[in-house]
Amino acid sequence: MRNDDQTVSVLLEDRLITLNRAVGLIRRRNLPVRSVAIGPTATPGTARLTIMMKSDEATAERAVQHLEKMIGVRAAIAFPTLNGVARELALVKVRAPHERYAELLDVVQLYNASVVDDAADGLIVELTGSEAFVLSCLRALERFEIVEVARSGTIALATANNLQTETMT
Amino acid sequence: MTESLTGAQLLCRTLIDEGVDVLFGYPGGAIMPLYHALPEYPELRHVLVRHEQAAAHAADGYARASGRAGVCVATSGPGATNLVTGLATAHMDSTPVVAITGQVARSMMGRDAFQETDIIGITQPITKHSRLIEDVEEIEEAVREALYIAQEGRPGPVLLDVPKDVQNQKLSGAGEPAPSKRARGQRDSNSTPPGSSRAGTAPLPRCPAGSFEEAAALIHAAQRPLIMVGHGVVLSGAYAELRVLAERTGIPVITTLLGISAFPEAHPLHLGMPGMHGEVHVNRAIQQSDLIIGLGLRFDDRVTGNLAGFARGAKLIHVELDASEIGKNVPAAIGLVGDVRDVLCRLLPEIAPRSCDAWRQEIGGFTRLRDENFQAGLSPQAILDAIAESAGGQCTIVSDVGQHQMWVAKLFRYQRPNSHITSGGLGTMGFAVPAAMGVALARPGEPVWAISGDGGFQMNMQEIATMVQEGIPVKMAVFNNGYLGMVRQWQQFFHGRRYSATPIWSPDYVKLAEAYGIAGYRIESLDELQDTVADASAAPGPALLEFMIEQEANVFPMIPPGGSLSEPIEGEPAIRMVPA
Repeated sequence: MRNDDQTVSVLLEDRLITLNRAVGLIRRRNLPVRSVAIGPTATPGTARLTIMMKSDEATAERAVQHLEKMIGVRAAIAFPTLNGVARELALVKVRAPHERYAELLDVVQLYNASVVDDAADGLIVELTGSEAFVLSCLRALERFEIVEVARSGTIALATANNLQTETMT
Repeated sequence: MTESLTGAQLLCRTLIDEGVDVLFGYPGGAIMPLYHALPEYPELRHVLVRHEQAAAHAADGYARASGRAGVCVATSGPGATNLVTGLATAHMDSTPVVAITGQVARSMMGRDAFQETDIIGITQPITKHSRLIEDVEEIEEAVREALYIAQEGRPGPVLLDVPKDVQNQKLSGAGEPAPSKRARGQRDSNSTPPGSSRAGTAPLPRCPAGSFEEAAALIHAAQRPLIMVGHGVVLSGAYAELRVLAERTGIPVITTLLGISAFPEAHPLHLGMPGMHGEVHVNRAIQQSDLIIGLGLRFDDRVTGNLAGFARGAKLIHVELDASEIGKNVPAAIGLVGDVRDVLCRLLPEIAPRSCDAWRQEIGGFTRLRDENFQAGLSPQAILDAIAESAGGQCTIVSDVGQHQMWVAKLFRYQRPNSHITSGGLGTMGFAVPAAMGVALARPGEPVWAISGDGGFQMNMQEIATMVQEGIPVKMAVFNNGYLGMVRQWQQFFHGRRYSATPIWSPDYVKLAEAYGIAGYRIESLDELQDTVADASAAPGPALLEFMIEQEANVFPMIPPGGSLSEPIEGEPAIRMVPA
């Protein structure tokens, strides 16, 4: 995580058309987006869209201004990712020969990950952490055979009180 | 009351209740229920266009001229997609247009049904908002919301997509419409429409405390200040406030393409249009200024030229309704977010009288006279003067896009606010003729001129038929130089005179006029100019005038693309520049 990592967090109407419009807007404005994640919030009918950007603060702030104009957006803020907690979830299906199982489980343990399924074509490993942490774990797992990877994209919350978007609705 | 109404009837009734009186449209399969209902609502005048693009431009013209939303209607599929250019035009220039499109029945949606298209998806980037109406119960609220959103804050186009079966769906107990809670045409950035989902949107930002005093201090201290006026002044109707600001301070006023006519053309403080085709003294004034008061403009690249070299010594006080415009292109020392008129009303009490005589004198010294010769004396200035004279200066000019647009912008003597209408941001050729129909309906009894080049005119000249059928008395002027003139000019300046695909053949416009049964004229020299224009003006109904102008005339000065405002081309370039 570096100084140019910005998080844009958006609370918006939980409808496909609204989410579609918001994602379309960040594409159309040619913003340097690294990751987009969408999910529900504690408020029924309101979703949170988390956009991770590689940019300066002014660009992130501009993204907020454009998003705030959109019908269906309830609140939007930008903050340096350093000023918050950012996490993503990854599911990795990995295959290892029987004799390397112990070695694989060591890696899983090292990254505080867990084996959540023991399927016929490999183990499914679940891990959570910052983007860098997830990438590091994936590299460690590459010495085995990675069959498939699913990542959630990064979600984040700002730590400072004045950035609690939930209260802004 | 337990009256039962169809969705289509409800739609008509709500439009009428909201004050809509004219629809520009074209029927088709998926919008037939609406057209079936229309004859029951004679308060809604329907103008049958000859192409849906014209419906969108006409609605746009109506909106620009009236300040109220213009409404266009099209069927699903090709009808809806034909609206796209018109909606994009309205979006770029922030004008309130509501488009109502038919959609295939709900049960057919998503199955590639006949004439099905995802018009909401297609228009998402070029509308302020759009909505698929999924049930008849939503119709009344959706129509009110659409009109509200189109007109509130920074205006823009809104699209309502109405499936055919929803138009046919019956709502029992529809009863009388709920009375409209707000007068149409009023723009209020802070109120919430009745029952609207807009209730949950983010509040508009305001000006921080002390910013008016700060702005006033900058205005008092500036040695070389300028006021730059954009479309926001027209949209907010801040003409009187602008004039007070200028006259109290003596600060010269620059009007951008869409700001033209917001300030009297002949006012001693008026400098003219800036940017790519701005006069040398206007652009030089910008480059020398130490303070720019930007009112309702977005500093488009055609205004600023190369941003790195734009007004480097100037601080900017940027007044804009849309916060995201402040600092987007040009950094602002002070951003005042709000309707231009509201902001000026709060700012003016802080402004003490001053003068800018030395600065104005300096700018006067920047003025260059150009010697331009036009074939048979038929100069753009002479033509525009004749038009102005024929209308006693009281007409509305709707221009198209290209060389004539720049002449019309710079040379016509506008006397009334909002009497110049053009497609600025999108630069849509073919805009003038259909948009002028909307202007004429919004300003009945007033002369309306659509001025086009021979290229743009041929893009939408089918609308003459609409004017004839509907009795819309637009006077159409075609500046015929046998070229797509602006592109040809670029080819001459920057592409080694390779006139690729720019010579353009025209039909005999006098015969064309005759075919449509309207008055047609060809003007080839200065001698016949005044009388012919006067005849055309006096003739009832639409008229078509073809002006045979110099074939290879250029618009001067010109800032080359990518150049700064300090590098104008002021005459025929001696060296042929070849593109990099």
